Amino acid sequence: MNLQKAMSYCLLLILDPVVRALYYFHFRFSVNGGKTTLKDIREKYAEIRKAHPGPMLICTNHLTYIDSLIQAVILSSTWGYISHLSGLAWNLPERKNFYHKFIYRLICYLGRCIPVERGASPADARQVTNQMLYVLRKKGIISIFPEGKRSRDGLVDDKDFSYGVGQLLNEIPDASVLCVYMRGTKDGGFTHFPKKGESYYMDLSVYKPVSDLKGLRRARDISTQIISRLKEMETNYFGSNGGLAKVH
Amino acid sequence: MNESEVYEKVVGLIKPYAKNQDALSSISSESNILEDLEVNSARLVDIVLAFEDDFDIEVEDDDADAIITIGDAVKLICTKIG
Repeated sequence: MNLQKAMSYCLLLILDPVVRALYYFHFRFSVNGGKTTLKDIREKYAEIRKAHPGPMLICTNHLTYIDSLIQAVILSSTWGYISHLSGLAWNLPERKNFYHKFIYRLICYLGRCIPVERGASPADARQVTNQMLYVLRKKGIISIFPEGKRSRDGLVDDKDFSYGVGQLLNEIPDASVLCVYMRGTKDGGFTHFPKKGESYYMDLSVYKPVSDLKGLRRARDISTQIISRLKEMETNYFGSNGGLAKVH
Repeated sequence: MNESEVYEKVVGLIKPYAKNQDALSSISSESNILEDLEVNSARLVDIVLAFEDDFDIEVEDDDADAIITIGDAVKLICTKIG
């Protein structure tokens, strides 16, 4: 994993501009205007990393295949990642979606991905968990979708979600949790790939789950708290101004 | 509580989480909880916690990881309750 990390840094200067070119010129994505700009979000993320330099879990709602890429582009500039190397998160793509072609596997490898498999055996799941724990013990960042899947109805699923994030925090209790609520304001919702010209809303919130429970019960409790926080952020988004009209 | 009673109770606890309802008709000790019954891994945690509550036992993480089939769960519970 150290080799993978080193190669991802070395190729950041090549890969990152490609991703950004796709983001801005092919998909023509943007961040909503209104009160919060791209610059504001990046400054806030930089401040959060400065205040929480250790291990971090970025816990984001999940709607499209490329949420991780969009999030990475929004959170920092290329220069931001180069100058603050620890800001670049590891990602956890579903193996069956991204590992069936060599080129995808290569991109995932260079893009700092740890493939996960839905329905994996406990032994396989443990192996992947150990890789995540290794990253966190090295004070790295992991971008994780606490729901464990893309939300089919476009809303945070607070009924049927994974406990993976809680299990990671059981092992690394001092890891910070950054909840991120992100969705397109034009056609936001469940889809494989967002439509061209989509404009993104993003809200960041550092969250500290607290639980007196132990083991699996603690994992479930913590995961539930994080999902609840994301649900609150979603409620804020769809708040009093009717959702799409309420933009940052 | 004998083994068959434990088995019946275990099946009852797993049933609500099984996505493959057809597999429930042919359920046996050899049924793989994740693959045959299509219970997802998060719900398997709920099931293990339900075992703890209903049988008044504690299941360590390693023991939980070793539960693959219905029979594994029954064997573990029988060992715990003596």
